[in-house]
Amino acid sequence: MATNVEPHGPALRHGRRARALAQMAAHDLDVLVLGRTANVRYVTGATTLWLAGTSSFGPACVLVRSTGSIHMLSTWDEGIPEDIPRENLFGLTWNPMNTIEVLRRIEGSAEGRRVGTDTLSPTFARLLPAAFPAAELVDGEVAMRAARRIKTAAELDVLRQAVAVAETSLAKAVAELRPGVTGKELSGVLLEAAAAGGVTTPAVQDAVCVTSTEHRWRRAGGDGRAAPGDLVAFTAGVVAHGYIAEVGRTHAVGGAVPRALAARCDRVWDRLLAACRPGAPASDLLAGYAGAGEPLPPMPVARGLGLGWDPPVVTGALPRTATAERLEPGMVLALTGYVWEAGTGAALRRDSVLVTRDGPELLTSAPVG
Amino acid sequence: MTVTDLPDVPDIARMRRETGRRLRASMARDGADALVLLGNSNVSYATGVSWPLGDSGLSHVDRPVAVILADDPVPHLFMPYREGAGPGPELPDGYLHDPVYLEYDEGVELFARELAGLVPPGAVIAVDEITGAMRRGSRRLFPHGPADASRIVPAAKAVKTPDEVACMRRALRITEEAMADVERALAPGVRQVDLSGRFVRRAFQLGATANLLDPIWQVMPPSRAEGVWTSHGDLALPLLTTERELVRGDVLWIDVSISWGGYCSDFGRTWLVGQDPSPRQRAQYRRWTEVVDAVRDVTRAGATGADLTKAAVEAHGDGTRPWVRHFYLGHGLGVDAAEMPFVGTDLGDQFDQSVVLEPGNILVLEPVIWEDGTGGYRAEEVMLITDDGYLPLTDYPYTPYGD
Repeated sequence: MATNVEPHGPALRHGRRARALAQMAAHDLDVLVLGRTANVRYVTGATTLWLAGTSSFGPACVLVRSTGSIHMLSTWDEGIPEDIPRENLFGLTWNPMNTIEVLRRIEGSAEGRRVGTDTLSPTFARLLPAAFPAAELVDGEVAMRAARRIKTAAELDVLRQAVAVAETSLAKAVAELRPGVTGKELSGVLLEAAAAGGVTTPAVQDAVCVTSTEHRWRRAGGDGRAAPGDLVAFTAGVVAHGYIAEVGRTHAVGGAVPRALAARCDRVWDRLLAACRPGAPASDLLAGYAGAGEPLPPMPVARGLGLGWDPPVVTGALPRTATAERLEPGMVLALTGYVWEAGTGAALRRDSVLVTRDGPELLTSAPVG
Repeated sequence: MTVTDLPDVPDIARMRRETGRRLRASMARDGADALVLLGNSNVSYATGVSWPLGDSGLSHVDRPVAVILADDPVPHLFMPYREGAGPGPELPDGYLHDPVYLEYDEGVELFARELAGLVPPGAVIAVDEITGAMRRGSRRLFPHGPADASRIVPAAKAVKTPDEVACMRRALRITEEAMADVERALAPGVRQVDLSGRFVRRAFQLGATANLLDPIWQVMPPSRAEGVWTSHGDLALPLLTTERELVRGDVLWIDVSISWGGYCSDFGRTWLVGQDPSPRQRAQYRRWTEVVDAVRDVTRAGATGADLTKAAVEAHGDGTRPWVRHFYLGHGLGVDAAEMPFVGTDLGDQFDQSVVLEPGNILVLEPVIWEDGTGGYRAEEVMLITDDGYLPLTDYPYTPYGD
């Protein structure tokens, strides 16, 4: 982070836009109307305000395939790249009809036959046909997802910077682990450390929790204070330049994670890492748990990292999706190893991994507790 | 219990019974038999679940989904698990479900089966978002087409129950205590990101559920013309935080927001780095208080948004509106950091006339005073609307401009 609000550099922007335009062609989309922050950042390269959670759909960026022009929602030009001219910015409005009028006037709107949106609200499902009178409105998120799943070289550089901030902040929080401290206090330490590293925007704020000795998935009840012997899960997720990096580790209060549990976690983790081969089905990641004799955890076993969560999202809840999804070089995944023992607690390990032609490359290097 | 009998500690079970009744009444008015809610804040309102919200880029994948039935006081919740985390609310058996992934065709297919088991045939199902996969699976999900939930939830939540206000007051107290700590650290040489870090750490220590907004410490320009270019020529706001070091004399417009139990705080003040305000700067603050006082004088249940904007413009003195053009004079607050009622937006005077304040509304006033060469003055005041006036919920001084 600098002392000015800078948009993404040309290498990031151009590589991503080329991928987005190629996917528009592949999915036969004339216009993309994007409302999700991650998609807007992907196409525009603009640095915009971080807000937690989902927001309801509203058009925030329009990409026209025939001209390559980008129009975006912004009342000012700070953080906007110079290749999006001021006349292509449209200001914040509370009247959706104003937005429709802006969209209607964009060159290419009137003729667009297939217009994709990344999601939709019932309100804009009703209003958008007025802006695109000739168009069929279709799902544009599939095209964006296809673009986002493989990272460009410039994206990987930024992701590595994000990993460094995540690991530093994780280490600061781990260093403060002692009996009596609460998960919330440690989460605060972790978020403050990320801010000191220039990243004030978290990917996850649920950063530290005492794992339960009684329930496979739940955190410990009570006041959230760590007691000697407790296993405490730390997960640092930061959004640096829009990109998410994740790292997770488990540490015992006043000692080490019991050897048998750590060994079980290692067995899962080794299989997850080995499954990250180009051409392999994502379901191999699910099979890694069975291979280690462990039940699947309730959270996704792997998820793509980028501007937000990218494909694939590999979870036991979507087995067919995982079987159909192939891993490819250029994907970055957060892998999650999670095992639990009654009376002991849980061991969680999460790493950011790049799939390369030669197999997995570990991006994270935090010590394991 | 009237809205001003605020409990010190919110009774969450009572709150959910009352908000559930409001929500189902709103469904009845719109003719909806069932609601399918995906938006984080809508799910929070409808089910009582709250969690530390994540980045928007992952929140649409890893998110809880609620199904509300017109004739059932208990919500159905499809809840993702985070790291070893259990769900918040206590729900009876059969109401807490495994997570659903509505970004994927397979996830929509599974959810359609679950939904068909919950909703009677022929039911009108209203929804707040339609993902691409939901659009493809629409016939299975909504055999009679999806109805629009976009009015149902806002209409229900605009009037707060006393327990909801108590939640918000807790969020405000956490925010204010953390900000007092940050204000003590304000000095030349401190970076904007350091203020953010200090705020977030302290807020979490004090029990915040989540930070909702990358904290804003906007250094104001010497003049409008020297500020960042805007499409309307008015001031840009909010501008983002960087590693910029603050220097003596910087005027900061501040905006932060956190949540507690799913309810948001909102905090705005103007701070001055390393020196006392000049007489001209103090005059900016005085004018701001005159505007706020004039608006408060007309604020009560039954007043319209237009009554408030008129009072603000008159007190401002030069016929212009004392707020930035792309925002508003005031907005509501609840499970969203800005929600109904909105007053003074670009929807225009006719819309403001149609906004009639009700007891239990929350209104956050955020007028802006600006004169080149002063850095201006902006602050936010949260109030609860009552039958005969308002109850201030913000409790923070105006240092160094006033008390």
